[in-house]
Amino acid sequence: MQSSSHAAGGTLPVPRLAGHFASLEVQNHAARLGMWLFLATEILLFAGLFICYGVYRFLFPEAWAAASRSLDLTMGTINTVVLITSSLTAALAVHYAKEGKNKMVAVQIALTLVMAIGFLVIKYFEYHHKFEIGTLPGRFYSYEGIQLPGVPMYFTVYFCSTALHGLHVVIGMVVLAFSMVRALKKADFGPNNYTMVELGSMYWHLVDLVWIFLFPMLYLV
Amino acid sequence: MAIANESRQEEQNMREEHHGAGRYWLIWVLLLVLTAVTVVTGRIHIPTWGLVLALVVATTKGTLVLLYFMHLIDHRGANRLVFAVSILFVVLMLAIPLVDLGTRYRGATPPGSTMSDMQAIDIGADAQEGRYGGGLRKEGKMGEESGAPRQ
Repeated sequence: MQSSSHAAGGTLPVPRLAGHFASLEVQNHAARLGMWLFLATEILLFAGLFICYGVYRFLFPEAWAAASRSLDLTMGTINTVVLITSSLTAALAVHYAKEGKNKMVAVQIALTLVMAIGFLVIKYFEYHHKFEIGTLPGRFYSYEGIQLPGVPMYFTVYFCSTALHGLHVVIGMVVLAFSMVRALKKADFGPNNYTMVELGSMYWHLVDLVWIFLFPMLYLV
Repeated sequence: MAIANESRQEEQNMREEHHGAGRYWLIWVLLLVLTAVTVVTGRIHIPTWGLVLALVVATTKGTLVLLYFMHLIDHRGANRLVFAVSILFVVLMLAIPLVDLGTRYRGATPPGSTMSDMQAIDIGADAQEGRYGGGLRKEGKMGEESGAPRQ
């Protein structure tokens, strides 16, 4: 274990090895494990909404099909492509962080952030359209085009899950922005110090992962 | 000691990139292809198997993201265990309420649903509004757009 901490480059100022870890490897492992534990709680958070979705889709299948066809599939597909591509750039940011190319890290995260903003803008237009025509949750539902029992419940699930997902997009953007600033200012990411980018990127992939499931569930019933 | 070995193994996997950035691009292309598959098959609205197919494709995409973008393939025991347990609980959480609903006394399910014989009006809700859960906009507000209420 001593040799391993030596191999991890003991002379470099970063990352600091906390005294209670045997080596840098163990410290990194612990960081990842902590992140996975957190992501597990996130998965279960979204799972709660997926279960609402499953229960009400089971009860109101026709309403689900009709309501889902009132969404804009083109916008949903564009958003899926945008988010998948932003996941690619987030993964590339980690790749470059490991190689110590801090400029490229900043570029890739900047691309990720641009796509995240694009995603939110498209989402805004979709929301706006729904407020216009009145496909809103519960008693606020006032769209005459689809009058089936259970449709307002579809939009309750739609708004809850996409809003929670949107919140995660914003949080992910903040987390990644911190890494970007560090890559620009301190430029100290390298083979021994990339945990910050890695964990931020993992969070971003989770956001992508949730959308991968939300997209067919909501747009393609 | 076992933990240290696990950490070392993981560190090595993460460090030695047997692959360049190319692998990420490959996964990206696969994800886009699978998205196209979802959209094309989803638009057909396959009656029974549509949902299953959509979920299989989404699960495949999710697995690619998890294994390669999130590096679960390079991670060792503990991380995989945490993830596997979370998925196990998602499945349990999904299965148990659905089994409950599927086996309920019909009167105990929401009126107007496929599992119920009743409509909202049967439990005293408004025939025009409550049945649908929402309120139609009043005529005065947007009369020309919505037209007369249906008879």
